[in-house]
Amino acid sequence: MLSLQNIFKWVNTGSNRTFLLKDINLDVQAGEFISIMGPSGSGKSTLLNIIGMLDTPNEGTYTFMGENVLTLKEKKRAEIFKTHIGYVFQAYHLIDELTVYENIETPLIYQQIKTSERKAMVADILDRFQIVGKKDLFPNQLSGGQQQLVGIARALIIRPKLILADEPTGNLNSKQGEEIMQLFLELNKEGVTIIQVTHSEKNAAYGSRIIHLLDGRIEKTT
Amino acid sequence: MWKNYFKTAFRNLFKHKLYATINIFGLAIGLSACLLIAVYILNELSYDTFNKNADRIVRVTMEYGQDGTVNKVATTGTKVGPQLARTFPSIENYVRTFISHGIVKNGENMFEENRILYADSGFFQVFTFPFIAGDPATALDGPDKIVLTTSTADKYFPETKNLGYSAALNKIITIGDKDLKVSGICADAPQNSQIKFDFVTSFYNIGQQVKTETWWTANWVTYLLVHQAKDIEPLQKQITAYMQQPDVKADAKLEGNAYLQYHLEPLTSVHLHSSLAGFEPNSSIKYVYLFSLIALLILLIAAANYTNLSTVQASGRSAEIGMRKVMGASKKQIFFQFMGEAFLITAIAAIIALVISIFLLPYFNQVTGNEFPETIVLHPIPLLLLFIIMLIVSMIAGIYPALVLSGTKVLRVLKKGFTFTGGSSTLRKGLIIAQFSISVFLIIYTVIILQQMTYMQHKDVGYTKSQLLILPIGKKMLPEFENLENAFAQTPGVESITASYDTPEFVQWGDGIAVTDAQGKQNITLNAMPVDLNFTHTLGMKILAGRDFQQSDFALQDTSNNYANYHDAFIINETLAKKLGWTPENAIGKTIDKGSTGKVVGVVKDFNFNSLHDPIGPMILFLGRDYARNFILRINTGQTKTTLAQLEKTWKQRVPYRPFSYQFLDEAYNKLYVKEQRMATLFSIAAALAIILACLGLFGLAAFSTLQRRKEIGIRRVLGANINQVVFLISKNFVQLVLIAILIAVPVAWILGKNWLQDYAFRTTISWPLFLLASLGALLIALLTVGVQAIKAAFINPVKNLRSE
Repeated sequence: MLSLQNIFKWVNTGSNRTFLLKDINLDVQAGEFISIMGPSGSGKSTLLNIIGMLDTPNEGTYTFMGENVLTLKEKKRAEIFKTHIGYVFQAYHLIDELTVYENIETPLIYQQIKTSERKAMVADILDRFQIVGKKDLFPNQLSGGQQQLVGIARALIIRPKLILADEPTGNLNSKQGEEIMQLFLELNKEGVTIIQVTHSEKNAAYGSRIIHLLDGRIEKTT
Repeated sequence: MWKNYFKTAFRNLFKHKLYATINIFGLAIGLSACLLIAVYILNELSYDTFNKNADRIVRVTMEYGQDGTVNKVATTGTKVGPQLARTFPSIENYVRTFISHGIVKNGENMFEENRILYADSGFFQVFTFPFIAGDPATALDGPDKIVLTTSTADKYFPETKNLGYSAALNKIITIGDKDLKVSGICADAPQNSQIKFDFVTSFYNIGQQVKTETWWTANWVTYLLVHQAKDIEPLQKQITAYMQQPDVKADAKLEGNAYLQYHLEPLTSVHLHSSLAGFEPNSSIKYVYLFSLIALLILLIAAANYTNLSTVQASGRSAEIGMRKVMGASKKQIFFQFMGEAFLITAIAAIIALVISIFLLPYFNQVTGNEFPETIVLHPIPLLLLFIIMLIVSMIAGIYPALVLSGTKVLRVLKKGFTFTGGSSTLRKGLIIAQFSISVFLIIYTVIILQQMTYMQHKDVGYTKSQLLILPIGKKMLPEFENLENAFAQTPGVESITASYDTPEFVQWGDGIAVTDAQGKQNITLNAMPVDLNFTHTLGMKILAGRDFQQSDFALQDTSNNYANYHDAFIINETLAKKLGWTPENAIGKTIDKGSTGKVVGVVKDFNFNSLHDPIGPMILFLGRDYARNFILRINTGQTKTTLAQLEKTWKQRVPYRPFSYQFLDEAYNKLYVKEQRMATLFSIAAALAIILACLGLFGLAAFSTLQRRKEIGIRRVLGANINQVVFLISKNFVQLVLIAILIAVPVAWILGKNWLQDYAFRTTISWPLFLLASLGALLIALLTVGVQAIKAAFINPVKNLRSE
């Protein structure tokens, strides 16, 4: 599905060059569930952001579904991102001013999907996540677990091929965290590719493959 | 999509009530000021355009002079209209007009009316005042006819309410002693007409003096209707040439280098572009510009508030924007979302502005001296204008925040959470400086205007203005003049009485004199005043040499033998004496020829007989009871009310045919400066609005700034900073900006204020302490605004501030 080759990412601080990622090579097949682990500052989030096209590497090639992402025009890249990738955040990042329903609906608006179709899609997903009763509440009226549920629902609404999750359970208690991981597992079984960044060994174990990062390098893959 | 945007916008407004209120009300005030001013300007610009023939009508003004003196007036002699129409085929019609006051009777009812229009029979063919009843073609074709406006008909014939206006036709109305038959009812003259009237009757009803055609005795306003608008320019050339023909000059009795010329002013440019007042004081395009400028400045301040508050609020929105981008929003979509938000807020402000405007219109009318109905702001053109202004403002105010916010970097939001991306603080600082520069400028300019107003009110004008009562008198009273004067003089509380043609604050009577001495003959054009005995005494003028008029001076006016031995006595002013090369002392006894000859009996200290715009010119006083139009009485202080009651009683006994009306001279004097008064009021309001709006914005920014710096404040407090130091810390930056604004505004205000004062021959000096005071005032207000926030922040328990991080 995607392939990273010789990816380098660095920042210049004064005369020093600090490497965030060093020579990353990674192939991800459709249907995989990958966990990226590593200590703080090892480059996990940077790697995820590059995969998610929110950031660009300084060197290397990135192929996503046969397209060379880094040579694409901004608009085309945004198009691929918009239709294929769903993002889930540690801090949920829901829009405070919108209700649960409206938060989930928003990505569809940006894909210019018709109102009637949007309604059906949002209704489906609310149903599936069993949050129909909460659809008119605002994010600050929900618990952390519920907010993350909405966050995932929002990521899923566009029927993405790939879900990128940046410590999705980091702000949750262990029971809530477990529920979320179960959900990911289910989604993966349905064929959605998942890449998650996590600190927790337990959560990482849900993945079919674990990538260990250290100082910007892939230390080992298990 | 827009639904989603507007929902977000609305919920954001509710979440940040302080900012929302400042934004919306600031804009509403700005828009409302704009709307009202737009209504005023539209009216000014539309002056006289309602006339169907507007582009074909011209007003004729007269210019005459001799020996280098030039006089220009908007009035012309009776001959101008008919003679030009006879001579030049491009003239289709002419109308000579005159507006006068008089006593109008309808049976028992008697009113003093001051908008009686006398006009030639073509009046309703040239001008467009639609008829409700009667035939405009014949309405003025005889001397016994009169046309009423609908409001006049309502007043004199209330029965027309049920019966219709045609019921008033052929009814009789008496003006003076003349019975006139109502021949038509026309619509009221609109607000934007230079000719405003309540009655129209034949021009010939003015009296005997208009029945012969003459170039001189120029008291009438003449309008010409040409066949085609393009005829005006050639016609002007033809008239100029015509007036230089020897036979015409002879007909106009022009000798030597004396000349007489006529200028054509297009009807629609009279109100704003002519320096010559006709029926009403003209406005000036300068005022239109000034009003527009003020509207613009206030709007700018309000718009700047929006821009500033929106950019600082951006930090709160950056998370939302980041998320929207992650969900697939393009930069363009975010940009339009925020432009839409600006539009929404301005639209809400515009609706509130409409309500405010309707509510404020009566006060606005007072300030500008108009009579707009409250519904005028709901007319299509003002509404359209409001919409356009609203669009422009939302664009100007919204574009910067929209650009800043749509440029938010997703990664930054993801990495650092909700960081401040509030755009460049240079722009924000620049806007604050601009706002306060405008405010301080308006404050100082207002202070200068007010200073000049005070100066004019308290200036020694050469006579004592207070406690002088003016009683207008009619021709019918003249035969009884002496008896009446005595009767009033004996009324308790009356100290002294005199009479005159013009009242002394504004003398219009123009005249000419000739003096022959060793150096030869000198001709001087000047102002003159026919007065009664005790004139200088009653007014409290100072005689520099000689004496006031006395009873024996009347004996000189020998009318027997066809005026062969008619002489005058003259009192001249200092300026005239100087102009003739005389000292006050040696002026006494000199001979002056003013039609009739006479000797100078007194020299009076210069007094202002015109507006303070003009320097004091030469002036000559002569005895002329036959010309009297006003009694002037000096009354005791303290018992004005009883004296007035007494006078009214005497009046009612002696002059039953005329209502008692009076005016105080100082009020008449102040009326000369209505324009200035209005400008002063307008500027005061504008200055107040500007500073309020600017402070509103500052308040919002200070609130935000303290919120941003609460961690810093907490740390500083923990480290031992006291409250004063914290307040200083927060206020410092804002105060700096206001100080820069003052430095910019003061010189501009000084230059423009000085320039404005140049219009006055008599003017106040600009005083620096006032500048300082105005600047300090603005600074203090700004300081208070910021200080409230700073103190609030300083008093919060530092632990709380730190915990919230």
